[in-house]
Amino acid sequence: MKRFLSYFCSLAVAASMIGCGKNSEAPAAGGNQTSKPSGKKLTVALLPKSKGNAYFISCQKGAQKAAGELGDELIFDGPTGTDPAKQNEIVENWITLGVDVIAAACENKEGISTALRKAQSKGIKVITYDADALPDARSFFVNQATPQGIGYTLMDQAAQLCSSNAEFAIITASLTAANQQEWQKYIEEDRAKNYPNMKMVAVKPCDDLKDKAQSETTALLSTYPNLKLVMAICSPGVPGAAEAVKQAGKTGQVKVIGLGLPNENKIYVHGGVTQAVVLWNTMDLGYLTVQAADALARGTLKPGDASFKAGSQTYEIQGDNIMLGKPFVFTKDNIDQFDF
Amino acid sequence: MKKYFRELSVAGALGILLIVLAILAPSFYSPQPLLSLAARASVSLVVALGMALVIIAREIDISVGSMFAVCSVCAGLFAAMHWPLALVIVASILVGAVFGAFNGALVAGLGLPSIVVTLATMVTWQEGLRWLRQGEFVNLPDGMQWFGFSQRLGQWTLVIGSIALLLLLALAMKHLSIGRFIYAVGSDAEVARLSGIPPRFTTFLIFVFMGALVGLAAIMNIVQSPQVDPQSGNGLELKVIAAVVVGGVSISGGRGNLWGVFAGLLLLACISPALTHLHIEAYWEKAIQGVIILLAVVAEGLRSRKALDHG
Amino acid sequence: MNAKQPTWKKNLFRHEAILLVVLIAEWIFFDVIGRNFGTYDNSCDILRHSCEIGLLALAMTPIILTGGIDLSVGSLLGLCAILFGKFWRDAHLPIPVAALCTLGVGALAGGLNAALITRLRLPPLIVTLGTFSLFRGLAEAITRGVDTFTNFPNSFLFLGQERWLGIPAQAPIFIGAVIFFWLLVHQTTFGRTFRALGFAPEGVRFAGVPVERRIAMTYVLAGIISAIAAIIYTARLGQAKADAGNGYELYAITAVVLGGTSIFGGTGSVHGTLLGVAAIAVLQSGIVHALQPSEMAGMLTGALLILALTSSVLPKMISGLRARKSALKLSKPIA
Repeated sequence: MKRFLSYFCSLAVAASMIGCGKNSEAPAAGGNQTSKPSGKKLTVALLPKSKGNAYFISCQKGAQKAAGELGDELIFDGPTGTDPAKQNEIVENWITLGVDVIAAACENKEGISTALRKAQSKGIKVITYDADALPDARSFFVNQATPQGIGYTLMDQAAQLCSSNAEFAIITASLTAANQQEWQKYIEEDRAKNYPNMKMVAVKPCDDLKDKAQSETTALLSTYPNLKLVMAICSPGVPGAAEAVKQAGKTGQVKVIGLGLPNENKIYVHGGVTQAVVLWNTMDLGYLTVQAADALARGTLKPGDASFKAGSQTYEIQGDNIMLGKPFVFTKDNIDQFDF
Repeated sequence: MKKYFRELSVAGALGILLIVLAILAPSFYSPQPLLSLAARASVSLVVALGMALVIIAREIDISVGSMFAVCSVCAGLFAAMHWPLALVIVASILVGAVFGAFNGALVAGLGLPSIVVTLATMVTWQEGLRWLRQGEFVNLPDGMQWFGFSQRLGQWTLVIGSIALLLLLALAMKHLSIGRFIYAVGSDAEVARLSGIPPRFTTFLIFVFMGALVGLAAIMNIVQSPQVDPQSGNGLELKVIAAVVVGGVSISGGRGNLWGVFAGLLLLACISPALTHLHIEAYWEKAIQGVIILLAVVAEGLRSRKALDHG
Repeated sequence: MNAKQPTWKKNLFRHEAILLVVLIAEWIFFDVIGRNFGTYDNSCDILRHSCEIGLLALAMTPIILTGGIDLSVGSLLGLCAILFGKFWRDAHLPIPVAALCTLGVGALAGGLNAALITRLRLPPLIVTLGTFSLFRGLAEAITRGVDTFTNFPNSFLFLGQERWLGIPAQAPIFIGAVIFFWLLVHQTTFGRTFRALGFAPEGVRFAGVPVERRIAMTYVLAGIISAIAAIIYTARLGQAKADAGNGYELYAITAVVLGGTSIFGGTGSVHGTLLGVAAIAVLQSGIVHALQPSEMAGMLTGALLILALTSSVLPKMISGLRARKSALKLSKPIA
């Protein structure tokens, strides 16, 4: 036992000596690093909300295109489970790894800001995309659509499809998902302001599982016989809800709309089950994010700029939000033009 | 009557829930949604039957969720390659059986504890599948849904099929010698061995069978919609183990029967739709599930205490 | 291995020693392959990231040694985290008082497990499966799923995020816990009964040891440690949500088993658990620094676990085979 302990201690000491000897080759040793000479290869770290999520994979495709064009190295990694601390751990690992800029889609606004601020203090540039952090933790937010824009578009679409006193239900991801909570806030705001006679009868989580969304919707359909619309605000929920409506034989009687990827919803849109899928071009989002990240690190994108040119398009900057554009509504007429 | 107290009490609880629903939320009993609910529950039932056998044999398998996901995706990919339906079904069952055999080899062959082995395989298959699929759905070809039947016929097929499986297994456990082997191995493996029963081989077979049932359940699940979600099966192990335990199967092995598992599964499967129909908020679901499991365990403890006192 | 073997050789082949070698090999591998892996900053981060899991694994060790298990520690972490937030934000208690109340809740929750397991003699696996759902469910119900607690004062966040005298601020707590558990399990007679309980609970009872009280204590202790871990987690993240600690129990069990503790109880050690936690934490950090996808960390952990289990069984199998071979030789007819 004693012998073992002495092994342990001597090896631990040896290991830490090796460690201390190799103190940081991190590029930003100082806090006030300004810009890199252009032409140097940058390391851009892209953080999705979770891996294994087709939405972020399509962002990654656009991101890879941008990285290829710019000659940068792209790291794409994210949490594989549901632990909220995982995003922080990955960011902190990237800090010690020594990346140049981090682009993060934030699962927990306040939680991730802790790690992002730390990155900024080490000279790493930070931008966010898809879901924002706290404003002091990042330089810019690549905004595909404001939560208000998303919430209002969804509610407006719902109102267009139903009568003014219709009942509708919402299928969300999980009850703790921050983005969805914000969208629900704006959906409710729009409803109260503009469509006060429409009634939201229930919110059900599907834990990002298509099958669960299907069974929850089936239960909703039989509980609320006057239900006229199901709004699925998480992408696996849209095909799940649509399938439930189809199986209940209520295609057309109960409308389905939601936030989802076109490829997953094509059959239902063409089948008349799903009337509208709201999203934005996720590949463009990924592309713009990496372009902006690169420009920020190189100093060509500065706070106070009014516009940003990425590739062949120019994007407007409102304050510190780089606007991708408006949410896009996929319908029967245009969904086939998109492949993601 | 006394012997089946546990199973009857679960059935009783289920009965009370159904009566409450009949009074307060009769819309629960509309035929089409109820059939859809039953069709979904049939998938979990098949897996629960396998898990019951595993737990009766005094082992456990927490990798069923990941196996389910892998089998679902494999079956979907085979179908997308236009293999005939029968071949896809057989292939899915085989894939499940292979994964089950892997678990079985480590548990029965090397004598490793099943909870840790299946923990390791669960994590490995789950992460591996996530890495390969990256969340992408698999689109199934037309004609695959509901085995090519109409929706109603397909759903009835699933429900009746799973109940037929339940009947078969319940009879097998009672009358075939393999059934008695499983109970024997679960009660006391050493005594079983001395009586000429091969405990390791029996255990190995149970894991293979579990895997095969998972493969079957995967097929039953994917025919219910035109796309395969690689995340399906998330949380399946918890659902199924809870159903088995609530249904009266003792975690220390050697005791329990499949009818109790059936009642336990139905009880747990009805919680979520019941909450919806009774207009109770969704965030109570986990707490209620936990309470039901604890009540079942307490009931189990009281029963075995009584048996000890009397026996 | 016969008794004539020198002690150093015996020590070398012990599970923990092999794990230590694996850990060092991991470290060197990632130092070479990865970018900026072996730096002091990163070592501090590895410690910070594995602190909560390490605490849970430490608390899990006596439980598993006695042949039990506790699946509810991760959910309890979530429940304690939101209750801590609630005590501080809604009940307006100062942070230290809120922390103490949280520890109380942890002890109560652990007490629930303990009562069900020791008083009612219910199997730990299923009891803690039930409380696993119950605690998480309570956390979700109390916050209605949506409430989150943030904007903690900087003096509190210091605990999770800053360094104190050059080492991460949560390190002294963790080291304190390590020393406590090591002393408890290995040096007290109290602790020695844990292993005996895993081997032969009835024998221990006949020896006059209050079995139920000892076992109950392990679960209550786990509850308190979960509460401490919850507070550190909240400080590290700066946020408390109902899904905090999701999946941590399996991670902790993996670390304990990797460290050589048998899931059936009876054998194991605290330093083994510590090595198990370190091995997994180094792996996770190393994978990111080696620019590999995080799924790989999960797969390798699973593989490592199986290898560790197999290697602990192998010596027995080999000696069994050897014994059978020599028995066969002896049973051969002479002429």
